[in-house]
Amino acid sequence: MVFPSLEFAIFFPIVLAVSWALMPRPHLWKPFILAASYVFYAAASVKFCFLLAGVALANQAGAQLVHRAPGERRRKQIAAATVAIDLGVLGLFKYYNFFSDDIGSFLDSIHLGLSPPLLSLALPVGLSFWTFQAISYVVDVKRRVIEPGKTIDVALYLSFFPHVVAGPIVRAREFLPQLQTPRDPRDVAVGPAVVLIGIGLVKKVAIADFLARSVVDPVFGVPQAYHAQDVALAAYGYAAQIYCDFSGYTDIAIGVALLMGIVFPRNFNSPYRATSFRDFWRRWHITLSRFLRDFLYIPLGGNRHGNLQTARNIMITMLLGGLWHGAAWGFILWGGLHGVGLVVERQLRGRVSAPAWLRWAIVFNLVVLGWVLFRSESISLAGTFLSRLADPGPATLWTFPVVLAIVATVGLQLLPPRPLDALRLRAAQLSPAALGTALALVIAFVGATVPSQAVPPFIYFQF
Amino acid sequence: MPDRDENIPSPPPGRHLRARDGVLVVTLAVMLLILFKGESIRSSGEEMQPGFERNVVLAVGHPSGWIAERLPFDKWGNTLTSWLSPGEQLADSGGFDQPVRQTRQRAVPPVSPESFDPASLGAKPRPPRKLHTVLVTGDSMTLGLDLELGRRLAGRDGVRVIREPHLGTGISKTGFVDWGKLSTQQVGDKHPEATVVFIGANEGFDMPGPNGKKVVCCGPDWAAEYAFRVRRMMNTYRQRGAARVYYLTLPFPREKKRQEIARAVNAAIQVASVPYRSSVRVIDTVPIFTPGERYRAAMDVDGRKQIVRQPDGIHLNGTGSKLAADAVMKRLDADFGG
Repeated sequence: MVFPSLEFAIFFPIVLAVSWALMPRPHLWKPFILAASYVFYAAASVKFCFLLAGVALANQAGAQLVHRAPGERRRKQIAAATVAIDLGVLGLFKYYNFFSDDIGSFLDSIHLGLSPPLLSLALPVGLSFWTFQAISYVVDVKRRVIEPGKTIDVALYLSFFPHVVAGPIVRAREFLPQLQTPRDPRDVAVGPAVVLIGIGLVKKVAIADFLARSVVDPVFGVPQAYHAQDVALAAYGYAAQIYCDFSGYTDIAIGVALLMGIVFPRNFNSPYRATSFRDFWRRWHITLSRFLRDFLYIPLGGNRHGNLQTARNIMITMLLGGLWHGAAWGFILWGGLHGVGLVVERQLRGRVSAPAWLRWAIVFNLVVLGWVLFRSESISLAGTFLSRLADPGPATLWTFPVVLAIVATVGLQLLPPRPLDALRLRAAQLSPAALGTALALVIAFVGATVPSQAVPPFIYFQF
Repeated sequence: MPDRDENIPSPPPGRHLRARDGVLVVTLAVMLLILFKGESIRSSGEEMQPGFERNVVLAVGHPSGWIAERLPFDKWGNTLTSWLSPGEQLADSGGFDQPVRQTRQRAVPPVSPESFDPASLGAKPRPPRKLHTVLVTGDSMTLGLDLELGRRLAGRDGVRVIREPHLGTGISKTGFVDWGKLSTQQVGDKHPEATVVFIGANEGFDMPGPNGKKVVCCGPDWAAEYAFRVRRMMNTYRQRGAARVYYLTLPFPREKKRQEIARAVNAAIQVASVPYRSSVRVIDTVPIFTPGERYRAAMDVDGRKQIVRQPDGIHLNGTGSKLAADAVMKRLDADFGG
């Protein structure tokens, strides 16, 4: 079930009303929300509900054992075993075919003729998100940041429908305390929630999907059929598309959770405003950045052991961060590009100074270059795409709406945040009747921009 | 350990209301949408694959549609938002529903020379127009194949490939896209010399038969109606024999229920093409991917066993699309020259 769908428009009002009716009785509210979340997830795949439940139970068992373990060594061993289970699930479903294909090709090339068995495995929706959340739970218990929650709370933490399919990656210590006591029905952030849902819908349906079908999909699909101007437009178009798609999803997820009284952390903060790679990663997919920082970069040693070790840790973190997005060399190269950017920037800090506009221009264009690697189906197609930039010819895709959508998406992030925030705040102050009417109007107008076919799924659903 | 509440993120600034106001806001939005978009809700439900979700959507869609029929809001809503709609309206009237009775013939239809592929009789085929535009269209089955054909033809001088998948659509359902109408529009706009059609992932819907009676999948009545619709599309795309059509059959899907539909669809495609063998090429994917109508996810490709289907058991993956593209290119090159 995707947010901009009829099914969700029927599902959510019912769940919202029943949720608040049951809120004073947690022993009823929790099973209800858990069941609703599984119904939501089952719309994508019934069989993977068992996997989700299995991961929740395995991690809860791991966390309980870690908590009860007598010594630090034992705690570490149990936590490592539980994390290994999570990574095993992730590896099997997400990476098995990628590596088995490459291993098979390699064995063939040296005439060994041995191939790993082929498995046609579907990728469970949101797998990368909920396995990372499960890891964060067990590791935080091991680090004594939190105590193990009740089993139903942990199951709800992993499967809560607003974030189960594409995050944000909420930490257990942020989520579980919100289940300890019923949410206050007199204090719900209705205004901000509705504004976020409206903005998210516009970003996803009116901008991201429009750019995808108008310029991004045609050019990235067959770059050899286009010339430099169109290829450049597609590269910037994808930068705008992926931001609007993913941040649009996150806005809706945060808004939906807020209406239910649950607060999620912020996931985006005008990323194309960044003037350095470090700045970019503080603004883009913030919940993934902090996960990688807390559970990978810092345990590797962070910046504590000199420049060389720090550079190594950054590269490992960013390469694995790239691989997290999917089993493809393009993602790994994308992570590598950002890793190199972060390392170089670290080396130059304090030695070279450049005006802010120049730093912005360099970082933004390198980020766009990274998106080309990220979006291209293969490295060779990425190469073809980039080589077409040197081949000028007729610009066939430059239309006013396309250029406007790209310029507005990037330009609005460059404006000072205050006037925009004030505008958003003003909308969030409207009366319930005005908010409801405005939401209906946004849905109706956004729906009218969809061509005669289904709304494509969010990009991050595949991760 | 840190205090529990200090870990909870702060909500964005803005007006905090009571929970019942939140429910009211969402309910009001839904009610307004039912008033203004009731008909769309009903037709969306009717377009969905049978199952629990469809039943739920129709449970809301039927009363919504009933309300919308009796009030003017639906029309006002459409008028207000129509300027935003991309492309022409591809549903409603003017497609498969319209001229059914005019075109259906009761007498024994004559057999024309168009029913024969001259090459199969050892005769010299009529040369088609020079290849400028290749249209690759269909539903989600087209995804992958369209890219592959686009890439292979990109190097050919003066050849343009238009990729036009219409996801979630089907020939047996006309609520959002009526392929009778869409095919006419595509030919009118693009004048393709070659059209590649790969469609059938969303079929099996009830259709009105020749006497207005509903025909249910997947018996001969349904197959006949489906074949009639496919034949109309083929006739449109072939442009009185001036263009060539490459129509792919469905590789057998994994699920048994879908196999029944695929069997009827494939039989209908073969029957539909009979009068137009001179210009319509049916590319049978069953022997390539699922010989003997037995589903298989992997097969030998380039001397190595490789997965050719998507995990959903319906669509082809990248490797499968390449094989399908091989088959299309072979026929395309035979007609237009490599």
